[in-house]
This record gives sequence, structure tokens and C-alpha cells, in this order.
Amino acid sequence: MSGAAVAELPQPASEIAVGCSGLTKSYDGVPVLRDISVTFMRGTVNVLAGENGAGKSTLFKIISGQVHPDAGQLTLFGEPVRRFDARHAQGLGVSIIPQELAPIPDMRVWQNLLIGREKSGFGLLRRRQMIEEAAAMMEGVGLSVDPTLPMKRLNVATTQMIEILKATSRQARIILMDEPTSSLSAREVEQLFQVIRRLRASGVCILYTSHRMEEIEAISDTVAIMRDGAIIRHAPTSALTERAIIADMVGREITELFPDRQITESDTPVLEVRNLAVKGYKSSVSFTVRAGEILGLGGLVGAGRSELLEAIYGMRKATGSLRLDGRDLPLGRMKESIRRGIALVPEDRKLSGILTSLSILDNVTLPHLDTFTAVGFLENGNRRSKTLDVLRRTRVAYATLGQKVGHLSGGNQQKVALARWLVTGTPRLLILDEPTRGIDVGARSELYRLINDLAAQGVAVLLASSDMPELINLSHRVLVIREGAIMGELKKNELDQEAILRLAMGRASNDRQ
Amino acid sequence: MTGNSATSEVVNAAEPKGMPSPRQIGRFALRYALVIILAVFLVTLAVSNRSFLTFSNMNVILIQVAANALLATGATFVILTGGIDLSVGSIVGLSGVVAALFAQDDGALTCAEAVILGIAAGTAIGAFNGALVAFARVPPFVATLGNMTVASGLAFVASDGQPISGLSDQFLALSGTIFGVSIPVAVMVIVVVIAWVLLARTKFGMHIYAVGGNPQAARVAGVNLRANRFAVYTISGFLAGVAGVILAARATAGIATNGTGYELNAIAAAVIGGISLAGGRGSIIGTVFGFLIIGVLDNGLNIINVSPFYQLIVKGLIIIGAVFVDSVMNRGDD
Repeated sequence: MSGAAVAELPQPASEIAVGCSGLTKSYDGVPVLRDISVTFMRGTVNVLAGENGAGKSTLFKIISGQVHPDAGQLTLFGEPVRRFDARHAQGLGVSIIPQELAPIPDMRVWQNLLIGREKSGFGLLRRRQMIEEAAAMMEGVGLSVDPTLPMKRLNVATTQMIEILKATSRQARIILMDEPTSSLSAREVEQLFQVIRRLRASGVCILYTSHRMEEIEAISDTVAIMRDGAIIRHAPTSALTERAIIADMVGREITELFPDRQITESDTPVLEVRNLAVKGYKSSVSFTVRAGEILGLGGLVGAGRSELLEAIYGMRKATGSLRLDGRDLPLGRMKESIRRGIALVPEDRKLSGILTSLSILDNVTLPHLDTFTAVGFLENGNRRSKTLDVLRRTRVAYATLGQKVGHLSGGNQQKVALARWLVTGTPRLLILDEPTRGIDVGARSELYRLINDLAAQGVAVLLASSDMPELINLSHRVLVIREGAIMGELKKNELDQEAILRLAMGRASNDRQ
Repeated sequence: MTGNSATSEVVNAAEPKGMPSPRQIGRFALRYALVIILAVFLVTLAVSNRSFLTFSNMNVILIQVAANALLATGATFVILTGGIDLSVGSIVGLSGVVAALFAQDDGALTCAEAVILGIAAGTAIGAFNGALVAFARVPPFVATLGNMTVASGLAFVASDGQPISGLSDQFLALSGTIFGVSIPVAVMVIVVVIAWVLLARTKFGMHIYAVGGNPQAARVAGVNLRANRFAVYTISGFLAGVAGVILAARATAGIATNGTGYELNAIAAAVIGGISLAGGRGSIIGTVFGFLIIGVLDNGLNIINVSPFYQLIVKGLIIIGAVFVDSVMNRGDD
């Protein structure tokens, strides 16, 4: 079906792949896109930069036919688009890789790859042919995955690569990627970039959103900076500096993304981990986090960092021993961990960090309802005032306490997830798992400051992050994890990206000598 | 058996080759717990009771199972898309009454015409369900609950609350045999085979799994959500219509209340067979096990004189057990 639509089109006379003129869109009277006029050429990689809520996703949705603009004209390869319909757009060669992974977990890899492009003979699927085709597709990008595996058996990064493969293989001539690297490790990002370069060479126009500055520089030809629903600037990447991009995105100069490290480290151990072996991993780990210290955990995706953190929090089965503030902490007793002052801001905030359908007030106070209960009833006055106070301290942008958290931007959602642990005083140990994944620069910088301030107040912080600058600039010390084991420890003066990666990929830290 | 070979393929693909670990054996035992229980029950019955394991009793079980098999097949399509159809029991009554009204032995209409009209009535209600769910975006539970009452009301209006009897011999012959095979059983086998081919071997089937597995992903991949949702409810209504006609022939009358409560048996068969109520997971082969288990239980418990009241309790516990096994199995996957 889609093949026929592609064939009918005349060869693109225009070098312009995507042309927008005056595109405007509002939701419930709130303008999301204002008068967008921009062109993207064939065979180029274009980054859309902007804070969350700047309108990048809406622009993607219009180009991919999922949303009808209120006004303005979209042209694809010189042809004006009149029907906004996902299937129609697909027929024109537009492919989108959504930010939220969209696999079908119970279907097999080959089915996921080829859905919508089935091959049938006499009404029956040509299964074998399709499985072979899927295998060939994956081989082409260096993925070795059995195409008959159920999708849910794959890890996040492989799933992401499959999704990218799915989108890029549909005779796509325009590919939209919404934060494709947010769950990929450095090596996988490089694999992705190879795919992107190959697509660019074959004349595909790629639009790409990312919050990672180093990626923008590495892969893009042009940068279009969006703010408040408008395109502020569109220029060749070579003509822009990181500082200028960030300044345009936030509309103000962020002088320091990372706050100065305040070393108030004491020798008082807060958490002592001894021979902790997480269920499913062969190795065990031992380490200590001191008061006021930010201990970073580095490693590739799937190295077992999240699992380790969850075990410390009491969410996951493990053996070994934990001591908090010099006293034994029982394993696998989450309630006890919370009571003793351990706070976790998990990796996947939509799954386990916050409850999107509940209000801000309920989300913030959920773990502390006992504290706010007197003779069996909730003390709503106290609950509200404490929540208001913590929201102010964490600089959450919100309308009312009753607002559903799902309606907040990603950065504000994450602040709420953190704020819930600061309502009733500060925790002893704060566990952060990928705290800034998918969060825009402005919110990031505020989160960094918050984390730093908490450490300065004597909170011990465990920070797992795949974002190298974040890990390097925030941590006082980094442990690199691989397959559930500690590969090495890097002191502050030894911290650099290369050293971390070496350890993460299983080499000794002194290989380079 | 086809079912076992298809499933062992899955296990092989998913787990590394070699000796199965105790954990794998445990999971296997749990996954097939119901089949094992059923086998034990069958053997016990066969040994203790002469009349159970006879050709004629097996035939009786299949005939009794046939109507539920059709409904459960329809339920499988619907549940795989993440929906539910509560109206099929009422549709059975309605299409039985409609078919009976036109199958009088006065010969005004031919038997074939009566059958077509009966099935058409069921299909129409199914299409109405589908339109409500797919186009008007009414939640399936509500849409089909509403139409359960509507269909039931229509059946009472059409029959004036009375059994419609005096049916032509041709029509009554539908519950008989053809070439020595019971017609209801033959219809059941044909329907199940077609359903298996559709679900496991065609683009349509793949799209149904995709719609239930992740509607957003399916949409992005160019799958037409509305058309697929509309289709599954229409199929369910159609199969309920067929079941209604067969049951009217067996009862020698069209009775408005003939299918009351059948929707629960159909859903139970699908769920026992491992069709996930969340959508997107399960196979029609599981459903076959599901309705056979229910049929054998009904029959076996009757033969050993268990009171129908206790039978209800047993059936209910089995449904809960099936869903429990399903949730335990999936917990292991995450």
C-alpha cells in the first residue's frame, strides 16, 4: 500500500524535503505552535533544540500527520499536504520514532519490525520470508538478535535500536526522531549515528530532538532552536556555539549548567554496603557512601546499576548486608528503608516515580501519609502548607496543588518526584537513577543545584547516570559498574569520560599507560 | 497436537538450549497446570466411571461444547484487541428467536433464509457494538453491557416473551448429523480452524494482536485501529448468531432467554486458555483448551453427581486459578 503511494510520486524535483509556512496550532486556546516557517533539505540532519514544551513534539506530530494544524501550510518534497493522517504521511515517506518507546511487547521481533508492511500470499502471511527479512534488516546495522524472540525479552537499548530500524526501513524519506538516544549508552549512540549518516548519504532528511549538547555537535548539519512554540533561530551547526544554543533555548544565559561542587564531605559513613549480591547477578559489591558525598555510579545501559539501587532501597531481592548510620538495615524491607531515611527517585518516573493521574498534593505526600494523619484523618491544612513549602524550594512550575502531575512537563514531574522526599525533612540517603533523562536544560540546571545543595546539607547521594557530563561534574567519586560488579573507582581528579567508558566496557583503568 | 508444538517453539526460542533448570520446569508445570489438572481429572473419571470414557459421551461433550466454542472464539478476537463483549449471551437468544420466527413449518421462508436472518440479527448487534467502540469510543464494557440489554429486549419483543416453536423439520435437522458428524461439532471445528488461520497466519490477525498489544504503536505502524476494532465485535456478533441458530434448533424452539449468562462462559474459556484480558497475548489454541476444560468439567461433574451448585463454585475457582497462573507467569518476564 505504502509502496504504491511512493511509486506514484514524481521524483522530488525540490531539494526541500520539509517546508513549513506559517504553521500554527493551539490546544484549548493555549498556543503550542506559533507561525512556524522553516525548511529542511534532503540529505541533512537537523536538530530541533528546545526545552520541553517548546513545541517540538507538536511539530513532529503535524509533519507525521497525527495532528492537523490550525493554520499554515506544510509541503513535503514540494507537494502541499492537505490530508493530515498518519497512514497518508507514511505513504509519503514520513517515519517517526516516538520518544516513548512503542514496541508491542508480546509480539515477536520480526512482527514488530514488519508490522504494517506484511508480505502475504493467497491471504496468508509469508512468515519465513518475513523472518528472514527481519534478520537481514538487523544484520545490516550490526544487531544480532533472534527475530523470533518476543519483544519483551529485549533490553531497553536493543528495543530502541529495533524501533529506529523499524522506522528507518519503511522506504522513509523523512525521519523524525524524538530523543532517540535518551536510553542508549555511548556505544549504542555511536551505532545509531552510523545509521543516521548512512541515511543522510542516501538523501533522507532527518529531524532529531535531543537534550544532549555533544550529540547536537556530533551529528547535525543545522540546528533549529524552538522556544515557546516559535522557531527562534535556524542556522548551520558550525555557526553556533553550545552556549548560544542554550541561551536561545532558555531565553536567558545559563552561565553554569553545573553548580560548583561543595565539598562538605565528612568521614561519617551513612550507607555501608557489604557483599551485596543482587538476585540475578553473580557478583557482589561492597562500598560506602559518606555524609555530604555524591557517589556516582557509571556504566553502560543494562550494567545492573538500577537493580543495585533498587536492592538498597529494599525493592529487589538481594543477599549481603547493609548498614545505615551505623545500624543494620534489613534487606528487602522497603517500608523500613523509607522510615530510616532512604529516598529513591527511580529511572522510569512514569512507571514507578510518580502517579500521573493523581494531584501534585497527593503525589508529594503519598509516602508520608502516616505523618499527616491525626486520629485516623488526614490533616489537609498541614499537608497543603508543607507541600507548598517544598514546591517553592524545588521551584516546581505548577498552577494549583490539585493539578494532575501528568499535565506537568517532564522536568517538573521529576522535581515533584524529588520533592516528595523533602516534605518531611531531608533524607539520610538520596538515591537518584537517571534523574535528568528527557529533561530540558533549564530544569536540569535547577535539579543539579538542588542535588548539590542537599549534599551540602550532609545528605549522602547515590547517583546513577548515563549522561557523562552529569556524572563527571556532579559526582565526588564514581564507581563503574559492569554486569553487577564494581569494575573500578575513580576519584574526582581521575574523572573523565574515557576512563569511565574503559571500565564500563570491561578494560582495566590503567590500559592506556 | 498442534497446540503443544506451537508452544514448545515459543519456549525454545525464548530460553537458551540445554538442560532445563528447575525454575524452567517449575514455570512449565505452572503454565500447563490446568492441562495437567484436566488430565488427572479425566483419568480419574475414566477409571472410576464406565460411562464417561465412551465414544457416545465424548460426542455428547463436543455437542454441548459447540455453542460455547463459537462464543469463546468470538471472545478471543475481542479480548485480543483489549476489549470485552458482554452481549453475546443475549445475542444467542435474539438470533434464535429471529431464526425460529422465520423457520415455521408453514414454509413462508426457506430454512436457509431463516438461518441467514437469524445470523444477520446477531451480526447486526455485533456491528453496532463495533461501531460504538471503534467510532463513538464508548468503552467496550459499557457498549456491550448496554447492547446485552438491548438484544435481550429485542428478543422478548420479537417473541412476545413466549418460546417460538413449530419449527420446520429442515431447521430442526440443523442439530442433527451430516455424513455421520454432528452439525454443531462440524461447525465448531470449521470456525476454530478458520479463526486459527486468521489469527496466526494472516495480516488481519497480526494487526489484531498489535491493536491489543500497543494501540499507539500499531497506529504509528499504519494499522487501522477503528477498522480492526469494528471487525472483531462484528465477528463476535456473527458467531453468537450462529450459536443462537444452532441452540434454537437443539431446543426445538426460539427462546429469548436461551443464552442468558453464556457470555461469562465464553470469556471464562478464553481466559482459562490464556488470552490476556489486557489484550495482545494468547492463542486460539488456548481457547480450545479453555472451552474443552469447561465442557469436560460440566459433563464429568454431572456424571459423578456433583450438585450444579457446587459445580458453579468449582468453575469459578478454576477461572481465578487460570488468571493467577497468567499473572505469575508474566511477573517472571518483567
